[in-house]
Amino acid sequence: MSKIFESMRKFYKSRVVAVDSVVLSAVAIAVVLVLVLMSVRTAYAASQETFEEQLGSVQVGNVTGTSPLEVPFITWGGDMPTFYANGNSLTTKPGSIFHKLGLNIKLVNGDDFKQQVRDYMAGKTPFLRSTFDMLGQASEVIASDTRTKGFIIEHLTWSTGGDNAVGRKDIKTVADLKGKTVCLQENGPHVGFLDDMLKSAQLDWSDIKVVWAKDLTGPNGPAEMFKNNQNIDVCFVITPDALALTGKGEGNVKGAKVFLSTAQLSRSIADVYICRKDFYDSNKELVTKFVAGYLKAVEEVIDLKNKYETTGSPEYTKLLQATQDILGKEAIPTLDDAHGLLSDCTFVGYPGQLAFFREKGNLHGFEALQKKVLDLAVNRGYAKTRCAFFPSTLDYDSPTFLSYLTKTGVQRKEKFRAEAVQEEIEALTTGALDERTLLTFSINFEPNQDSFSEEQYGAEYKRLVEQADKYANAVFAVRGHSDPTKTLSEIVKAGMKKGILQRAGTEGNYKYSLNGKPLDLSSTKEIIRLIEEGAFDGIAEYNPRETMQAALNLSRQRAEALRDSIINYAESHGLHLDKSQVQPTGVGIKEPFIAKPSNMDEAKQNMRVEFRLIKVSAEATQKSDFDF
Amino acid sequence: MKNIIRKLAVAICMLLILAPFFQPWSYAEDVYTDNVVIVLDCSGSMREPMYNTDIMKLNAAKSALKDVLKQVQETTHIGLLQFSAGNTSKEWLYPLGVKKDVEFMNAIDTPKPGGNTPLGKYMKIGADRLLQEREKQHGYGSYRLLVVTDGESTESPCPVDSYTQDIISRGIIIDAVGINMDKAHTLATKVHSYRSANNPGSLKKALAEVFAEVGSVKNDATGKEVFELIAPLPSEVAAAMLQALSASGNHPVGEKPKPKQEPQAQAGQDAQQVQSGATASQDHSAALLMWVIIGVVVIALLALLAKLTE
Repeated sequence: MSKIFESMRKFYKSRVVAVDSVVLSAVAIAVVLVLVLMSVRTAYAASQETFEEQLGSVQVGNVTGTSPLEVPFITWGGDMPTFYANGNSLTTKPGSIFHKLGLNIKLVNGDDFKQQVRDYMAGKTPFLRSTFDMLGQASEVIASDTRTKGFIIEHLTWSTGGDNAVGRKDIKTVADLKGKTVCLQENGPHVGFLDDMLKSAQLDWSDIKVVWAKDLTGPNGPAEMFKNNQNIDVCFVITPDALALTGKGEGNVKGAKVFLSTAQLSRSIADVYICRKDFYDSNKELVTKFVAGYLKAVEEVIDLKNKYETTGSPEYTKLLQATQDILGKEAIPTLDDAHGLLSDCTFVGYPGQLAFFREKGNLHGFEALQKKVLDLAVNRGYAKTRCAFFPSTLDYDSPTFLSYLTKTGVQRKEKFRAEAVQEEIEALTTGALDERTLLTFSINFEPNQDSFSEEQYGAEYKRLVEQADKYANAVFAVRGHSDPTKTLSEIVKAGMKKGILQRAGTEGNYKYSLNGKPLDLSSTKEIIRLIEEGAFDGIAEYNPRETMQAALNLSRQRAEALRDSIINYAESHGLHLDKSQVQPTGVGIKEPFIAKPSNMDEAKQNMRVEFRLIKVSAEATQKSDFDF
Repeated sequence: MKNIIRKLAVAICMLLILAPFFQPWSYAEDVYTDNVVIVLDCSGSMREPMYNTDIMKLNAAKSALKDVLKQVQETTHIGLLQFSAGNTSKEWLYPLGVKKDVEFMNAIDTPKPGGNTPLGKYMKIGADRLLQEREKQHGYGSYRLLVVTDGESTESPCPVDSYTQDIISRGIIIDAVGINMDKAHTLATKVHSYRSANNPGSLKKALAEVFAEVGSVKNDATGKEVFELIAPLPSEVAAAMLQALSASGNHPVGEKPKPKQEPQAQAGQDAQQVQSGATASQDHSAALLMWVIIGVVVIALLALLAKLTE
């Protein structure tokens, strides 16, 4: 019996030990797994947290005091007119634009967006200064109290060059993002920029892997992470970082290049001011003056900048100096950097306010952008519900604007010099064109088709019009392609007629020989020589060059017909399209998908019109003070 | 008078002020046209009458060209190049461009028969002009050289063969019309079409046939037999054929192509873009300045004129 107990004790002891070790191992594995998951979550899935959760507890209070009125600014060229309006100072100087309007403003740095939101909610300031996309991320928090719901009171600028996507050498177009690892600042201005890029290539966030960076720049910014982690394929950075990564100096990454920037995707990052509803309702006159003062400063700063670039301007130099003093030498090491900061953005001015808030069918207007930023906020999990902003209801027809500002009558003008664009596109070889291509998609057509209806191609027209609006500094080349079957057959017929090619065999099993030798891959060099020397030319009935020329002309005509259809589409849908942005061009038979089609189905794959969004030189664009 | 000049001055001033602000085309004008350069032999032998008539060969050619060209569409650009006329040293009687009937008819009446037959040289001049135009039109359009002659080249060494080969290898169609030639011109077997004309009627018919071919529309319909015809070609060879065919340049006939210069790649980064933007801005400023200077000069001249008429 005792033996039985003894054996049972031993059994249990061993079980206990076994159970203990199993439990301990399981716990250890679980802990490791949890830690791994937590780190992965921190790096890859921070956006799963709502903005509210990221922000933590927030106190809501009333706005206290309007003199001085605390107004946030951020490190951006679009904020330089605010400095200027305030007398190139953080506090309003006598004689300055804001002073003359009876405002007393204290400018405060708002580069820490989350802190800005806390201050806004607490009533420390009635204004919030950020990009529209970032506001979208915070939209749920902002709308959480009736006092703090936001009125977008002003559209300041578009980023036009200051924000860049840098990729390793295999990243050439936006479509190459698929399956890649992308690093960008969490909650930063590039979230919306990336979202726009993905949409333009018809990709989704699930097509990429995201690594979040804590900061926009510096040791915890995407540039450093890109440099130190080979697994990151693309990073989103501001221009100084882009220059460092892609330049020849220290800190560069071999093969890295800017494959897209806001210089092309120039209507992606909109900078705005919003104002708390309680303050807006009770201080509309003050808000109006603030906006008018800013717009006045924009007009003057643009004129000074133009003067500075031609004959020099001491007043503009003062603004550059003030910018460096306010933002610090670390951010703005030289006055040239301050000038660069201003050049990285394009103002929308007074005409831009009208277009933004009032114009129907404006694809970059308030309604369109609001939809985009709220979609992004909800889809990415920054917000659980859609909480809209109010559009400005300021009276832009009042004397405060019309009698005060000077550039109120500026009309939209075409952005590109069409002849120069055409010259540029036609002069590009295929390789150079590929280098400049940002995006491409195409449609197919039937033999002899010369009309392109909305019913058949409406989806592609919509895509083109929308993307042309976003990529406002790039041009859509509408490239007509033809099938080469007929030209090839003319070469064969001309060759046989002239005795260069001989055919043997029976129908369905023919074989060619070239000057007596079987025509195979080894004949390539010889046949190129003969064609270049004109050996297949000179007979009237089979003229491959004439057929090729006709195909080229026809492809151009098709491209023109498509361009016209696209313009009609935009007009009939009340959508704005800059006609100079769409350039038809004929490619003919030069770039077939299938060089030797076996049947009509294969031939039809060659019959296509391709829409290529391409970068063009600054010389092909027409300079304009405002983009709206 | 003074008032008229003043009004004129104001109108010109307004035009000059507004000129720089006129918007250019929304998109590049459709630039392709059909282009035909006629190389007309005006050598001494063209003084002779056509068979069984007393009509001088050159006059018959002039008359036939006039009749035929009246029917040619205005969208076709025409150039008339002569060689060896005895009464003019002007080679281009009608420079390649839009056909204006009155000017063209006057131009064609000008030459009288003169010297020998430097055919090769003038085929090159005509073809070079067509290539120049093709460059301008970005390769679109159609390009034909029509040679109207009654004899072989008198050049030594004779460049006709090598030039002809080069011209047709560039995709320029050569049509030749031989007037009153006992045997076919040596061009006959080397060019795309050769027509013999031994009387004014056949000469007119030959020219009419050539112009009927100009700009003939080709469609991209492809029958089953065409796929069978090209089926034995290896795909790589087919691709190489297409590349070779479309690679002909627009450099002058008889010369080697110059290396192609790509347009400057666009500034991807703002620092470069700012620089380019400034350049564009300076170009615009320079253009404005030029207009202002022209305006001031014109106003000064008109003021001086007004003063003189007082």
